[in-house]
Amino acid sequence: MTSIIEYFSELDFEFVKNSLWLLLTGAIVTLEITLVAVSFGVLIGLFVGMAELSSYRLLRIPAKVYVDIIRGTPLLVQIFIIYFALPNIINMRIEPYIAAVVACSINSGAYVAEIFRSGIQSIDKGQFEAGRSLGLTWSQTMKMIVVPQAFRRTIPQLGNEFIAMLKDSSLVSVIGFEELTRKGQLIIAATYRSFEIWAAVAVIYLVMTLTISRFVSYLEKKYNSKGHR
Amino acid sequence: MIVIKDLHKSYGANEILKGIDLHIKKSEVVVVIGPSGSGKSTLLRCVNYLDVPTSGSITINNETITRKTNINHIRAEVGMVFQHFNLFPHMTVLENITIAPVNVRKMSKEEANAKALELLKRVGLESKADSYPDQLSGGQQQRVAIARALAMEPQVMLFDEPTSALDPEMVNEVLDVMKDLAHSGMTMMCVTHEMGFAKQVASRVLFVDQGKILEDTTPKELFENPKHERTKEFLAKIL
Repeated sequence: MTSIIEYFSELDFEFVKNSLWLLLTGAIVTLEITLVAVSFGVLIGLFVGMAELSSYRLLRIPAKVYVDIIRGTPLLVQIFIIYFALPNIINMRIEPYIAAVVACSINSGAYVAEIFRSGIQSIDKGQFEAGRSLGLTWSQTMKMIVVPQAFRRTIPQLGNEFIAMLKDSSLVSVIGFEELTRKGQLIIAATYRSFEIWAAVAVIYLVMTLTISRFVSYLEKKYNSKGHR
Repeated sequence: MIVIKDLHKSYGANEILKGIDLHIKKSEVVVVIGPSGSGKSTLLRCVNYLDVPTSGSITINNETITRKTNINHIRAEVGMVFQHFNLFPHMTVLENITIAPVNVRKMSKEEANAKALELLKRVGLESKADSYPDQLSGGQQQRVAIARALAMEPQVMLFDEPTSALDPEMVNEVLDVMKDLAHSGMTMMCVTHEMGFAKQVASRVLFVDQGKILEDTTPKELFENPKHERTKEFLAKIL
């Protein structure tokens, strides 16, 4: 007991103040990789999600296999495969930044694909039929009628995916990519102030996730109120 | 205008349409009645290939629809109005009406907008151009849906139970628009339970039961002197 009290009485948050700028630059890198990964994820997810709904096996089956493999394996293992295993095969070193972006994008794509698939399936079939009955092509109907509605409807899940990716991106610290978690590790290696720095790192993550979830709620309200789209 | 020959449609083992032959001439208003599950909606949906027939042929404007037919061309000439309106909720009324003329007919935005406003005037909703569908009543939404279909200047209009989902006090505003349309010479095929409408404007009434056309005659003849037992039964139940 006394040792705990001693420990806490020795806490010195001056260290946090001194390394705050360093941590914040890490936070910006974390935001950046999340934004890039989820953007690619949305792009991949849109096509894979539609492929999953296709009546062509040649599209549907690879899409399902991709989604199953990515969702059924840990992101950490995916990062290792891309950073450590892939270079052996292609005989080329991969930069940590590239490996991190590729791994997170491929990972996000699978989750976003499922979000879009269920979003598109939730749109009333009559919407598609109305588009086609007017003479619009399949892709016009998808692009102008079905996907925009599915997108609006999936804003909450896309927001969750963004937040999940923001937190999971801390895993790329293991390949030396200097985002928020890695910056924390490096500061601790120099200062030995483990509790203060990890607490600060946690608070920074929390501020980011709470801000984003507020923003997503705002978007959700905006797009779901009458007459404002 | 529309020639249907020996049309069959099955869902798995379930045969919905069992050989339909039908010839609709220009400016005819054909009302299709029949019990639910008789195949009347499926028949209508086969005309613009929303449901693909199992066998038989459909010819619209001397063009017989085959696998090679560009179905979007056919659909552009065949307007359709749905039971549940199916307006696009993320677009304004004006956008709902102009989306097809702009993207299918390649009409300019200005021209399409002007035409849309004209059509909205025709259905009595020119003040609602900038509203969203969920701000309108059911009757108003269906009138917009009719304007949307008309914006393509179709040669035929299909109506699939257009008033079935409406509150009773809104049925007439939609029927009035349809009557106007009929009087203007539009070729129409209409599945409905509105017998008053059938009596007033139909050139022919078809009675469909169990996937077949049992009667194909004038409204006067069908309502006053039905030939089939099934028609008599059906009319006795609904009138």
